Amino acid sequence: MRKLIVTSLLITTLMGCSKVNNTSKVFCFDTYVDITLSEGNKNNIKEIENILKKLDKLSDNYNQRDLINVFSLNKTNEEVRVDKDLYEMIKLAYESKNEGAEYFNPLCGSLSKLWKESLKESKVPSQEEINLELNKMSSSSLTFKDEYIIQRNGEAEIDLGGIAKGYALDKIQEYLKSEDIKSYLINGGESSILLGEKKSKDGYYTIGFRDVENAYIKVKNCFVSTSSKRTQKVVIDNVTYSHIINPKDGSAFNENDAVVVISDKGWYGDVMSTSLMMNTVDEIKQIEIDHDIKTIVIKDGKIVYHHEGIEVLKH
Amino acid sequence: MDKKKLRNDIILIASLLLVATISLVVLFLTRNTKDFIAKIYVENNIVEKVDLSSKEDGDYYIDGLKGKLHIRRHNHAIAVIESNCPHQDCVHMGYVKSAGTPIICAYNAVSIVIDGTSLNDVEI
Repeated sequence: MRKLIVTSLLITTLMGCSKVNNTSKVFCFDTYVDITLSEGNKNNIKEIENILKKLDKLSDNYNQRDLINVFSLNKTNEEVRVDKDLYEMIKLAYESKNEGAEYFNPLCGSLSKLWKESLKESKVPSQEEINLELNKMSSSSLTFKDEYIIQRNGEAEIDLGGIAKGYALDKIQEYLKSEDIKSYLINGGESSILLGEKKSKDGYYTIGFRDVENAYIKVKNCFVSTSSKRTQKVVIDNVTYSHIINPKDGSAFNENDAVVVISDKGWYGDVMSTSLMMNTVDEIKQIEIDHDIKTIVIKDGKIVYHHEGIEVLKH
Repeated sequence: MDKKKLRNDIILIASLLLVATISLVVLFLTRNTKDFIAKIYVENNIVEKVDLSSKEDGDYYIDGLKGKLHIRRHNHAIAVIESNCPHQDCVHMGYVKSAGTPIICAYNAVSIVIDGTSLNDVEI
């Protein structure tokens, strides 16, 4: 009897002191995605890794991979039957301009490549080159047909860089819900984060801002999408160029240094955080009202605006 | 005899509970939110451990796969100050102080990963 009690107490004490997380790190979408599940098992981790890997392949516009992906679509103007997820991703991206994403255009692929290649060599593309790409974009379109058939019309290339990670997080959230897993943190390289409920008293995760000293917010059960020019900006002749390209005028200038969007859809948060980089704070306030999102706008190391529903705290 | 056994059991259970309670209190009171370490890897091998709980600044020079990286500890955070990589993404990351945010220089196969309890769950 005594042995039983002692053993039970020891096990209980040890279990109470330990906190077991299932974690994994996957390289996809050109970054590391950190998976932390406070519930579930290794099979759940494996399933999430598979979702990420599949959507990474589908959205790749630089390599063919082993399936029909964005790279394949950019090589033809024929009708192509694609995977359901690729179809949905492209359709959501293409129609997002009707959802407040005025500065988001998935047909900016070749314009983005032009900037990327030029900035890599510390050069700025000429206005002539930019105009050529803008003309391609304005004269191109996408047609969506039944049975997941897509047709790219024109020369502009598709780029899903601003939506793919968020969409992947949506699929992961669907999966976690189906498995009844509630405590998780999926960090898609800081720009796209999916949060469940933390195993703590209030269930909130804390998110700090590297651009704003000591500031943080508390969030749970949501998506946090961030666009920031800090990590990939290039300075040439004292002029700062962003990797986020304005699809309207073809420039690499942004109105804001960073925009954080808190939403209940990963794809939408990602698209909006990219698009809102070009909007003024007054425009962002109106978009928040029209499209039910919460934003934080950062400029010159300060939070210049945040939605009244977000409490910004200080350490 | 049975009474004595029962009394001993109660004492044992009470002692174990007391030890567990004291341990938890000590753990809670000594928990330092800035007690964390940055591990610097080159090709998956740890080459340096930087104590970010230290208040002092520190400079570290790491030989990456294709060149040297200048890494600095400042204000409980760590950053790559200089690297010979073409894109400079690691340098542009700036100072990092979150366990959830690694700094990666793919060109030099160098990664900096923070272990331990940081102030925030994620830094963006």
